[in-house]
Amino acid sequence: MGRLSQAIVAPLKRSEQVIERVLFHHRLLVISLFALVTLLLVWQASQIRPDASFIKMIPSSHPYVENYLDYRDDLSGLGNSVRVSVATTGEDIFSTDFQDVLRRVTDELFFIPGVDRSAMQSIWTPNVRWTEVTEEGFVGGPVIPPDYDGTQASLESLRLNVLRSGQVGRLVANDFRSAIIEVPLFDHNPETGERLDYNQLSQQLEELVRDQYQSDSVSIHITGFAKIVGDLIDGARQVALFFAIALVITTLLLYLYSRSIAGTLIPIACSLIAVIWQLGLLNALGYGIDPYSMLVPFLVFAIAVSHGVQIVNTIRLESLQDPDPWLAARRAFRVLYIPGLTALVSDGIGFFTLMVIDIQVIQELAVAASMGVAVIILTNLILLPVLMSYAGVGQKAINHARKQSQQEGVIWQRLSWFATPAGAGVSISAAVLALLYGLYAAQGLQIGDLDSGAPELRADSRYNLDNAFITDNYSTSSDVFVVMAVTPPEQCTTYETLAGVERFQHYAQGIEGVQSSVSLADVSKRVTAGLNEGNPKWRAVSRNQFVINASLAYVPGGLMNTDCSLLPVIIFLDDHKAATLDRLSSSIEQFAANYDSDALRFKLAAGNSGFEAATNQVIARAQYEMLAWVYGVVSLLCLITFRSIRTVVCIITPLALTSVLCQALMAHLGIGVKVATLPVIALGVGIGVDYGIYIYSRLSSYLAEGLALREAYLETLKTTGKPVAFTGLTLAIGVILWVFSPIKFQADMGILLTFMFLWNMLGALLLLPALACVLKPHPGQRDPGLHKSVNRGES
Amino acid sequence: MAFLNDDRKQILKPLNKNKKSFMQILKNYRTWLCALLLLSPVAHGQVPDRLEAPALQTPAAKQSLLLSITSAGQRLVAVGDQGVILLSDDAGLTWQQAEVPVSTLLTAVYFADEQNGWAAGHDGVVLRTQDAGNHWQLLLQGEQINQLRIAHYEEQLESLQQDPEADPFELEELEFALEDAEFAAEDGPVNPLLNVWFQDTQTGFILGAYGLLMKTADGGHNWQFLTDTLPNPDRYHLNHLIEHQGALFIAGEAGLLLRSDDGGESWYELASPYMGSLFALVEHQDELLLLGLRGNLFRSMDLGDSWQAVMTGSRASLLSGRSAEGRLLLVGLGGTLLSGPGSQNLQLLDGGQRRALSGVVMADDHWVLVSEQGPMRLPLEGVN
Repeated sequence: MGRLSQAIVAPLKRSEQVIERVLFHHRLLVISLFALVTLLLVWQASQIRPDASFIKMIPSSHPYVENYLDYRDDLSGLGNSVRVSVATTGEDIFSTDFQDVLRRVTDELFFIPGVDRSAMQSIWTPNVRWTEVTEEGFVGGPVIPPDYDGTQASLESLRLNVLRSGQVGRLVANDFRSAIIEVPLFDHNPETGERLDYNQLSQQLEELVRDQYQSDSVSIHITGFAKIVGDLIDGARQVALFFAIALVITTLLLYLYSRSIAGTLIPIACSLIAVIWQLGLLNALGYGIDPYSMLVPFLVFAIAVSHGVQIVNTIRLESLQDPDPWLAARRAFRVLYIPGLTALVSDGIGFFTLMVIDIQVIQELAVAASMGVAVIILTNLILLPVLMSYAGVGQKAINHARKQSQQEGVIWQRLSWFATPAGAGVSISAAVLALLYGLYAAQGLQIGDLDSGAPELRADSRYNLDNAFITDNYSTSSDVFVVMAVTPPEQCTTYETLAGVERFQHYAQGIEGVQSSVSLADVSKRVTAGLNEGNPKWRAVSRNQFVINASLAYVPGGLMNTDCSLLPVIIFLDDHKAATLDRLSSSIEQFAANYDSDALRFKLAAGNSGFEAATNQVIARAQYEMLAWVYGVVSLLCLITFRSIRTVVCIITPLALTSVLCQALMAHLGIGVKVATLPVIALGVGIGVDYGIYIYSRLSSYLAEGLALREAYLETLKTTGKPVAFTGLTLAIGVILWVFSPIKFQADMGILLTFMFLWNMLGALLLLPALACVLKPHPGQRDPGLHKSVNRGES
Repeated sequence: MAFLNDDRKQILKPLNKNKKSFMQILKNYRTWLCALLLLSPVAHGQVPDRLEAPALQTPAAKQSLLLSITSAGQRLVAVGDQGVILLSDDAGLTWQQAEVPVSTLLTAVYFADEQNGWAAGHDGVVLRTQDAGNHWQLLLQGEQINQLRIAHYEEQLESLQQDPEADPFELEELEFALEDAEFAAEDGPVNPLLNVWFQDTQTGFILGAYGLLMKTADGGHNWQFLTDTLPNPDRYHLNHLIEHQGALFIAGEAGLLLRSDDGGESWYELASPYMGSLFALVEHQDELLLLGLRGNLFRSMDLGDSWQAVMTGSRASLLSGRSAEGRLLLVGLGGTLLSGPGSQNLQLLDGGQRRALSGVVMADDHWVLVSEQGPMRLPLEGVN
């Protein structure tokens, strides 16, 4: 071990000397280089596009998703549609005015690009018909009477047609006070081949439909995946405002803290440069910014500021001894280069461990965050001290620092009690109690989403209210699980296939949490009964192929594919709780394992709940895998830097406690482990380790000077305690505003990250010295060279 | 060939013997199949055919399509989709699912007494219970019906060929009928049974698609093919059979209406009041009611010789009905409920839903109905 870390740390130290010399002797060159790169990346960053792709949010190599991707084109008509419900405040929809609005909205939607016009359905489209069995056979026609003229008589015949069309609960609400326009979408424009622009579509729905037709007497409700994506992108835009607020608050706090204008503006500017570089690089590498990676600029800014604070603070302390800005900056660089680098590299690698999770948005988040941290090494560890070497912190700040260190001595004196055996006992006992509580409470932690509606958005968001309106008033559920029944080509309508699918549906409907299901077999059964005068005694799959063929003369879209080798079975669920999805998928997998044959296979799964089931499975597995990776990597880095297992325990234990408490908090708040919250723990650990590294490297330098633990810790607190506390605050400010995000998962992330940043800080300040007191990873075995580099006694 | 005379009955006797041996073979085959299934509890390979798969025990049974309901003493028995048979001992408040050896759609159930009942359904399935519905045994299925039909015509042809004075026209017709039967057998058990009725625990009838009518005199072990004895040359579906004042009545497709005054030995056609489908017959006190397509309802006070139309105010097909304790309830498509003390003063009720209703019994001062989404209860007070 010693040799390994020697091999890594020694060149690092040598490089420090070289880099320090180059940097501080060619300052103008360094600054111009940075300016050039920044200009280039500003141009790149300005072109970054909002991006929200459905497929990126699901685990693309999970077998469910692979199966879906195999049949993606065949399933495209299924689910990717928008529903527009037009509701009246009047008695019912059978009024001239309302029908006029409904007709105009239908026309409006018809002309929106990306709409599959032939498959559009509303009571105003000619493909929606009524049929009736008479003594002579079937009679029928379009629901809108051909001679409709808005008179009471034609409204009456419209009412009759609606009743006998069987559309009540589908296109017309159960209470007859609203009607739906079902708008299927093309994923790719059939003429141009371009991908559907969800954002644009969502905007057009708002402008052309909602804004234009919503009135005192008419309300418009829109649901569908395209609308969710549009709302997500809209919501993400609002987040930019949070960034501005966080920026202002951070700047203000930084000034109050440092009392130096240069010492405020330069770290802020460097941190902004880091954000610009990160965004610019993201765009240059072909990534967009989605509602998940939206978090990264905030984190990058917060991490950058917190490192900037460390540097400015060190420069200030160095200035107490020698006010020459160049010398102070150079010394600060020397002191912080290694702990700063270690901290940032652990951040970066901690984030990068998110790559083990096979969900593209998380992987992109990992790339974006790691890149952001790498950029901070350049902007804040290198550019910042160089800039500060020109400006200096100013005499006012130096005086303030001197005065403050005397005033605050009392607080730090009290805190240093935790480095005594008594204090350590209290602190560690409290930690053990907290750990036990955390472990107990974290048992309630659930996988997946727990609320109804679109989980990405808030329960009271307009989308979810619209969605609730439609689920309440129509006989449909928005939680859809699709099983793909696969046959050889041209075999999807044989008796064996349909009877097999029918039995499967009967089985699936018996699983707790299943409301109902629909497949081609249902169409065949219903039409067979229809052909027998509607007598339900005939509602079975016929063994006679001619009867089956007759029953499937007209098949509604999406229930079979073009070469007749795929029958989607659409299963409607009560909810999308993880337990429901788990039970459903394991029961269906069991059925498939028992009965799959070459003639008929049951493949899981598509539909929003199918993907969620896959995501839950990946997340349930990945959450421990990811924890192992992030803790493993961070521990290893600490081990290499400090070369003491006890030290590693001192630094990592507070983080682990926070992780457990964070899980307990999630269980309390009803936040499940999901795509959005899974990265939080890795981010929390990655950033939280900074505190420990900064505090411990200081502490060990004082211990190496021969101070007793309590004195050494007191000195550490005097020099680093305040920036650490300040760092915790800056980081928290960066994310706490997210709690107000219109996007539910961003709010969840905000709450959890704030909690982790603050608790990690407390852990580093209170628990770390206690552990150091008990475990005594004391000096003596230390590499003297390392100490020299962080030893401020060198001056 | 409208009437079955005594000679023909004689002819049919040896046929029954043949039938028995044939059925034994089939039964053996099924026994072996069951044994095989038992040996491999997890069946691999493919979804079993509904004739071979026992009905799934599932909570979904209580929401599935149910087509017929009857009382077996205090117990209620309802049958429907996927071999579902539901039993209730508390007048329809709670239901248990019975063990059933097949998963076909069951269309009808009938109990001769508290213990002995029969159910019939798609694929020509006839089931029997002797323990009030707890266990069901498969007596007959479509393949066997097809073979019985062939055997029946072969037998007739044979005896006719031995008769030197046979009418060549009749001979030719029989040859056609046999050929038809042989062709039909190749399609497999495609035709559903639509109704079952028993006079006592031994004698009963099954009827169904394309004019099928069969009779048993031993509780369903042996069956006599009667289709060709009916005045039904177009082979209209037979929907329902009931007994009313000593006579038997059959209602069927396209206004088909038959009566037998000799316990089903011979049938003759009645003048039908309606040319659309007739789904059910209901006896209410002295009246015989005839339920049909699109809300058509007729009553007869003279054993079906004359019929009077009854205005229902509904255009939904009426599928079934029940008379109990001086009250009458008729049910049909779209949640239709017609209730009253007699057919002359029926009222259309709003049951609050639009499900297809296809059967009703009275139990414990409630109507218990079966619908396309399971059973429902309706309080009597709410009805009148």
